[in-house]
Parts: sequence; C-alpha cells; structure tokens
Amino acid sequence: MISEIIIPKLGATGGDVTLDEWLVPIGAFVNAGAPIATLTTDKATVELEAFRGGYLRAILARPGDTVPIATPIALLADSSDEPLGEYAARAITNLKETTTLLTANTDAVESQISNQKSAIENRKPQPPPQAPIASSSIAPLLQLPFLLALFRSMSLIRRFEDTLYQLFLQGLVPGTLHQYQGQEAVAVGVSAALNKDDVIFSTHRPVGHLLAKGSSARGVAAEIWGKAAGCAGGKGGQMHLCDITIGAPPSNAIVGANIPIATGAALAFQLRGEPRVAVSYFGDGATNIGAFHEGINLAAVKNAPVLFVCENNGYAASTHISLTSRVPDLAVRAEAYGIPGVIVDGMDVLAVYDAAQQAVSRARRGDGPTLLECKTYRYMGHSRGDPGGYRTQHELAEWRARDPIERLRLLLVAQHNVSPDTLTAIEIETQAQVDDAVAFAQAAPEPEPSLLETHIYA
Amino acid sequence: MRELSFSKALREAIQLAMRRDPNVFVLGEDVGISGGFGGGFTVTLGLSDEFGHARIMDTPISEIAIVGAAVGAAMMGMRPIAEMQYGDFVFCAMDQVINQAAKMCYMSNGQVSVPLVLRLPVGATTRGAQHAQSTEAYFMHTPGLKVVCPSNPYDAKGLLLSAVWDNNPVIFLEHKLLYGAGGGRKEKTSLDLYTHVPEQEYTLPLGSVAVKRAGTDVTILANMLMVHRALQAAQELASMGIDAGVIDVRCLAPLDIETLADSARKTHRVMIVEEDNQSGGWGAEVAARLTEMCFDDLDAPVLRVAAPDTPVPCAPALEKLYVPDVPRILQAARQLCQSSRENDLD
Repeated sequence: MISEIIIPKLGATGGDVTLDEWLVPIGAFVNAGAPIATLTTDKATVELEAFRGGYLRAILARPGDTVPIATPIALLADSSDEPLGEYAARAITNLKETTTLLTANTDAVESQISNQKSAIENRKPQPPPQAPIASSSIAPLLQLPFLLALFRSMSLIRRFEDTLYQLFLQGLVPGTLHQYQGQEAVAVGVSAALNKDDVIFSTHRPVGHLLAKGSSARGVAAEIWGKAAGCAGGKGGQMHLCDITIGAPPSNAIVGANIPIATGAALAFQLRGEPRVAVSYFGDGATNIGAFHEGINLAAVKNAPVLFVCENNGYAASTHISLTSRVPDLAVRAEAYGIPGVIVDGMDVLAVYDAAQQAVSRARRGDGPTLLECKTYRYMGHSRGDPGGYRTQHELAEWRARDPIERLRLLLVAQHNVSPDTLTAIEIETQAQVDDAVAFAQAAPEPEPSLLETHIYA
Repeated sequence: MRELSFSKALREAIQLAMRRDPNVFVLGEDVGISGGFGGGFTVTLGLSDEFGHARIMDTPISEIAIVGAAVGAAMMGMRPIAEMQYGDFVFCAMDQVINQAAKMCYMSNGQVSVPLVLRLPVGATTRGAQHAQSTEAYFMHTPGLKVVCPSNPYDAKGLLLSAVWDNNPVIFLEHKLLYGAGGGRKEKTSLDLYTHVPEQEYTLPLGSVAVKRAGTDVTILANMLMVHRALQAAQELASMGIDAGVIDVRCLAPLDIETLADSARKTHRVMIVEEDNQSGGWGAEVAARLTEMCFDDLDAPVLRVAAPDTPVPCAPALEKLYVPDVPRILQAARQLCQSSRENDLD
C-alpha cells in the first residue's frame, strides 16, 4: 500500500513551509517515528517523521521547495518497488534529482558501492521470504513463560550491544567491539535447546552466545572493560569471553579454530559416556578455512555429539559470501561429510530453537553431528570503526524488517494476548540490567600488575 | 635388570597411564589400526588390542583436527596423547598449538587447563626436508607450553608419564634415531640404544636437566641424539687432556637454567650442541641467558655447534654435513678450550 506523508500544520500561523533537506535516501526503509525530512516555518525548523514504517518510495518535492500544508510530500510503500499508481507522473524516484540529499562525495561512494553490488548481485543468495511474525511448526506447543524467556534473553543482548555501541561512540569502551545485533535469535534459540552442562565454543563475536547461555552481564561487561572482575579476569577481553560455570571455554578469535576443538570436547563426552553436547558457533567466513573441513569430518566419522552452528550473516568482514563460495547455502557442505545439513531462518528464534532442539537430540542419542546454517544478518559493521560501506541501506532495511525481537513481539501480542506494555516492561528491566553491568564494569578496579604473569601455566 | 628400547619405553608409559586413568587416550594417524604399524614409529603398536579403538583413536590425515580435538578434550578433563606422524607435520596445526593449546589457560584466567601431550618424532633420517626437522625452538618460544626432549629410554618413560599427568600442554620430542628396534621400523642409522627401564610407573620432573658427565674444562649442553654424540666426544676429549662435562637438556621449557649456570661457572666454558638450525635455536636462548647470568665467569663466548641455516638436505652425504657429528664437536671443543687458555695467558 502506498501512503502519503503530508505536511502537517505547524505552529499557529498555518502558513507555507519550506522543505530543507531529505534525511533518508529514496528506497530506504524507515521505522515509524523516524525523521525523514527537515522543514522550516516562519518560526522554527522541525523534523518531519514517518507516521508508519515503510520504504521511502518516492518524494514529491525538492529541497528548497515551498509546500503548502496538508499536501503530500513523500510516499511510503510496503516494498521498494511497489507501483506508484496515480503518483507515477510527478513522483521523484531518482536520487540524482535530490541535489542536496547526497553530496558529490557520497554520490561517488554510493556509485562505487552500487557497482560492486551489481557485480555480485546475480550470485547473491536472496534472503528467505519475509515472515513478519515468528513462526515455527512447534510454536503452538510452546508455553508462554518459555516464549517470554526467549524475548527477555534477546532483549538483554540487544540492550547490551546497543548500549555498548553508544558508549563506544563516546570513546568510553576500551579495546575492540564485534557486535551481535540482528543475530540474537541464533544464540537464544540454540541456548534454549541446551542443558546447563552442555558446552559452547564461541567466536570473536561472543556477547550474545555467553549472555544467552546464562553468563552474567556484569562479568561480560567487566571483561570488555579489562577489569579484574571480568569473566576472564580481564585477560581475555571482548573476543575471549570465558565463563566455565555456564559451559563457555574461551571464545575464539581465530576463525574456525573452535570447530575441531568442539569436536574434541564432544569426543570427551562420548568417551566418558556423558549425555552432553558441544556447540561450535562460527560465521559464514569460517566455512572456507581448513579447520572447518577437518573438524567437521572428524566429528562425522566419530559420530561425535556436536552441533555446528553456522551463523551466515552474509559477510566475512566486508567480503560477501557469494565472492568466496559457489554454493549460496552453506549447509549443503554437510552432505560431503555424510551428516545432516539444515537451513533455518536465523531471524526467527522459534525456528532456530526447533532446529537446534532436533540436532541436539540427535547428538545426545548418539547419532552424531549436524551442521545448522542460520540465515541471519548483523546490523552493525564487522568490528569497531566499520561503518559497513559495502552494504546498502536497502539491504540493511530489508533485514531489519525481519528483526527477530520484533517478530517474537508480534507473536506474543497477536497469539498469546501479551500486552505490549508487558514486553516494554521486560525491555526496561533488561536495560536496567545492562546499565547496572556497565556501571559495575566502569567502577571495577583494574587488574593488579602481578596478574600479568599468573595462569600462564595451570 | 630389564632393558628396553626408547619406543618400547614410551609404549609402556602410555600403557601404564591408560590403565591408571580412563581419561587418558591416544589420537593420531595410523596409531591403532589392527594389522597396522602403531603410529609413525611403532610407539602405540598393539595398544588398541588392550584399550580398543575408541581410546587408541585413529584419525583422518587432519593435523588441525588431531591437535584441535586434543585441545577440546583436554579442556573437558581428558588427558589426550596426540601424535604427529612426523614432527614436521605439526606446522599444519600450528594455530591449534600456539593460539589454542598454549593460550587457553591464560585467556581464561585459569578457568580451563589443557593437559595434553603432543608427541613429535623429529630428527634427520635421510627422508628430506619435510620429514626431518628438529622443531623445539618454535615451542620453547611460546609461553604456556612445556617442551620435553629426552635422550634415552629411561628418561623417555619417566618424562612421558610426567607429561601425561601435567596439567599443561606438553610438546614431547622424540628423535627418530633413538627409537631403536621395534616392529620392523628401525631406522638404518639408528643407535642401538637400550637402557634399564623399571617396570613400574615412575616420573621425572618436567623442567629438569640431567648431568650425564661431570667435567672441569668445558660444559657441553645437548639434547636428544646430540647427547650421545656429545658423550662420545667427551670421551675422546678426555684422552686429549680436556675434561668435558655433558648436561642433557632434556626439558627446554621450563628450563633449569640454574643448573646450567652452575656448571658454566665451574668450567668457565660452555658449548651447545643442537640439531636445530642455528639461528633462533634453543641454543641461542640458552647462550643469551648464560651470558646474562655468568658473563664474568666465562673465559670465552658460549659456542654453538648447530645445524646450518638450511632446510634438512636429503642426500646422505649432505645430511651428514648438516647434523653435528663427533668430529665437529671435538674440533669446536678443542678450539674453545685452546683459545680461552691463550686468553688466560694474556
């Protein structure tokens, strides 16, 4: 559906207003309430907000134009290529026409990006069909407290990561950051299928994995701040979170290295006859490193109880997976090892939970490993200081429209009669938990110098 | 007194450890295949008959997975003994050794430990550059690893048992020419080395060195095969009136530098014999530390007799030039004693 954005009546005089600047490029997705343009009246400069979420499909005025109140100025659509119908004749859909929207400099960058994009476009795997609501065949079987726990866990991760990003921008976070926003459904869905004594082997992007498995936000935050109270005494840092009390040995910043290590942990469980499972998390980039092949193949031939979770967020740092793999679905590689490869919508926590649950059961009953590919997306850059210039706003918006937290929220409200206020209250609580963790981390003492030389050997 | 070869002493150590603790297991290429050859050099021959194929675990040719799985199992409380068929193959798995095994304890602030043993057959045996290197220096350089390099069957058993019970990753080097007869895999130029090896379990401290021969004129430091060549040289030096002591540096990390320094202070001359390439070898580190600790006691610079800085050549005639031999050790020792005596007269 095409919706008009209309110049509202601003101030008492009710006179014409001037359009100063578009704040969003044509084609981008905007959330409800997001500012899309600045307007000047005879009294003040104000921001014009989108009254609903949607794609800025076209504009009907250029910067500098004077527009009367109550006239349409922009068109929001449900997709970036929705037909414009009656507006087609006067709608401006070409970015080049909005001269002040993009400076010459950003124009050049955009065109460079779009050239790169078109080079890979043909081979780029399409995101799975948009499902606006969390769904899975098992959804009707799940109890409300369980679903609320999933919501709380994803919210905690999102609040934690968003808060850290804000602090990072203020220069208040030491070291590096590899953030997990967008991928929460994977860690939370997998963790929900695990027992406390199951073990996870995480990556350089470990915050979600550890929080989802039950590590304390204080310990994680203090570790990122390099404090002695950190979950690894400050010696690990953001990329090497460790909390053995929840089954998390040091997270691994060598891509793919945790794959054979998880296999070894699983072999330990197998040799001792323990009904435990090991999980190896890794990204799409890791499927091209030798350790992936060796580790999965060994697990396969030994029937080791391990779950290989590939979080395919499409990019190894800045390199799109289509540039490094001839197969868009990485799960097909499982076939080469004679184990099941499962593809799941990694933006849907219930789908991830369902698939993880089946793979974990399979491993626990002695039927060996599974490669679980979760199609997901990271909203932030690869690491600190990466603005993600290799991706389009359009692509980001498409994935954000399938946000795992919002999808679960929709399910809870629509099918479980949960009040939106209840969910907001959970988010306020998780934000408070994060604020507490950050305050704890910032106030915690630095490690004593003597700790430099402890625990080199056991 | 019962005498055993080096390979049988190692096998007995593994057998005793596995009988004592179900958490001990072996993994590697060709280690337990029935009708196979018990790993690269027969060390695990027959063990799968007693312990089965789960605990004498044959793996694909996947060095990353062998070491990686050992790291993962060790962090979960097992005591894996991993074998590289040849020591040179460990370079395929260096990330797992250096970034993983060695750093896990530190990165976790002591929450996890990695009690594994990684056995590496080393030494030049006319197989060419990729089945021959002595690799100890790479590991001695890495905090978090222990490095053991025994020279005889008695030490091999006691040190391997210590390595298994140690809670850290231990790199255990075995010189191929020391293994001796066993399973038809005896090396042509192998030493025919048998020593007394008690039947029961015993351990030797990791981080220890062994004084093999006391001397007053020069201290010769050596490991593995070079210990035997140093001892032979010392015997010949005695007939020339030079009293050479020999210390077997059977552990490089931790390193008992104090015992080495004590000897250096006594003899005032130190010579290091190593099969490793000279540049950045273990001898370089030992020489530097002795110079720092007892410069005033030394009559001459610490002298190294090492392999040249070349890959290991294959041709027997060239390999003989590469590996330090008794004549080279003799010549260097005489030169060291001669020149420093002349200096004494100045």
